[in-house]
Amino acid sequence: MKNRVGSSEQPSKGEALGPFWAIVHADLRSLFRSRITYGWLLAAIFIQVVRTLGSSGAGTTSSVVSSGLSDFIYIWSLVIIGLAASSVSSEAGELADSIMSKSVTRFDYVLAKFTSRVAYTLISFSVVTAVLVGLALKLEVSDYNALGLASAILLIALTLVMLTALGVGLSIAMPNTVMSIVALLVLWYAMTIFFPVIGLDVLSPGNVLGELPGIIRGTWSFGEWETVAGFVAISGTSTALSAAYFYMKDI
Amino acid sequence: MDNLTKIFGEKLIAVNNVNFTVEEGAIFGFLGPNGAGKTTTIRLLLGLIRPTAGEVKVFGEKMTPSSSNLRRRIGYLPTNPRFPPKMTPIRYLDFVGKLFRIGREERMRRLSTLIRSVGLLGDSSREIAGFSTGMVTRLGLAAALMNDPELLILDEPTSGLDPAGRKSTLDLIAELGKEKTIFVSSHILSDIDRVCTDVGVIGDGRGIFSGSIKDMKKSTRSRVIRLELEGDLVKFCEALKAAQWVAGVETRGGFEVDVTFAPSMPMAEAVKEVTDLVSRLGLDLISVSSSTSSIEDAFIGLLRDEESRGFLRAA
Repeated sequence: MKNRVGSSEQPSKGEALGPFWAIVHADLRSLFRSRITYGWLLAAIFIQVVRTLGSSGAGTTSSVVSSGLSDFIYIWSLVIIGLAASSVSSEAGELADSIMSKSVTRFDYVLAKFTSRVAYTLISFSVVTAVLVGLALKLEVSDYNALGLASAILLIALTLVMLTALGVGLSIAMPNTVMSIVALLVLWYAMTIFFPVIGLDVLSPGNVLGELPGIIRGTWSFGEWETVAGFVAISGTSTALSAAYFYMKDI
Repeated sequence: MDNLTKIFGEKLIAVNNVNFTVEEGAIFGFLGPNGAGKTTTIRLLLGLIRPTAGEVKVFGEKMTPSSSNLRRRIGYLPTNPRFPPKMTPIRYLDFVGKLFRIGREERMRRLSTLIRSVGLLGDSSREIAGFSTGMVTRLGLAAALMNDPELLILDEPTSGLDPAGRKSTLDLIAELGKEKTIFVSSHILSDIDRVCTDVGVIGDGRGIFSGSIKDMKKSTRSRVIRLELEGDLVKFCEALKAAQWVAGVETRGGFEVDVTFAPSMPMAEAVKEVTDLVSRLGLDLISVSSSTSSIEDAFIGLLRDEESRGFLRAA
């Protein structure tokens, strides 16, 4: 008898991950081959090199690394916003139909999008941060604590993961890409600039930046734990709600 | 499809209580004018959207957005398919194979066979971004066949193709129809007439007809024969008007005559009587046809009937 793929038997656990990994792989490949990524990484690395060499001998590790990491919150967040908030909405219509009409569940698709966009953000962040930290450790006056430096980098990474999760979530919930990008821009800059004014400073990326030099020197307070918990909760809630919404909506 | 209904945003009734059955092994043509609800019905069929009422059963099982196990047995070509522009056909088909959980060896074997069969071998390493409409459609067909599906759903597969592309696509559908069940939507009636065994007609979201193409033509058959003649048409028309079985005669453009015959007269006998008369009067018969011998006439007749029924329902 002819061996067809077409059988309605439930796939094994290993097989079931096939579509998920295929979408993650294809999405990451497409992102890392785009001109936006090349441009972003080159510009970000160039700025970090210029900053570190420019302050050579005059700054401290904590100040230079804090300043370099703040670029991700104020400037490079724009790239992350654009890519995360367009992840699902830009594929609505025929492209999504081409994927969703295959043996793919909605959770496969939406979780793959979250995974690939978060992985993209973290890989890009790691590359630029590796250059920044490598140069800062060699050239600047050392005032850092290794655990503190790692904590500071992980805290910014978590902040960017939250931004990415919010972006993918909005790209699922909003009817088009422009609306999801505008909504995320408003949300992000409201969190960064206005949250401290209304007493929600533990949930503000801007507040995190103010704490960075101290964290790099080894000071970690209860407030930082609150921030971590808040960012994890926001990321998790955004992912869960948008995945549930995507499961229910017509695509 | 059982009483299938889809209402978007409590405003637009895209599909209204549609009932169709597609038999295994059939090439089912899904006919309807633009905006009739064909693509919405197909998206319901694939579980991409949820019905507002009614249900769709595929292979005897209810189709839902979670039915990835059913979609594993279906191949789908959307209208104007869009693919990731930076991918090459090889990479895209490999990606599709992974979405169907096909093992690497089998994926490679199938994609190389399919790329050759759809004539994209020479372009297999080029990025899809530079492909013409015909090449994109052929790649879409290859992708739809990657899982060797039992049911193939093609949404307007000849849309945007040149005559040669149309012909090769229709030939391929006819060939595939020998071993698969095919559901093909189109508003190009001659395409449906050429390859399909059965047909479903939808208009304004309502199912109007479902059955064989022959039955569709029969159901709208009128009692009119159209003749194209050379010779003395006046004498011919007078002779016809004198016959008891003729209900009406109308000349068109100096060489065409439409003969409407009485309901009691069987079609075959009417044709025989008319052609005998042509011979007796020494006219040259250029052509003879039933005015609803084409699927176009049958289709338009069905839509017209449905429209008038709509008025009656509203009255």
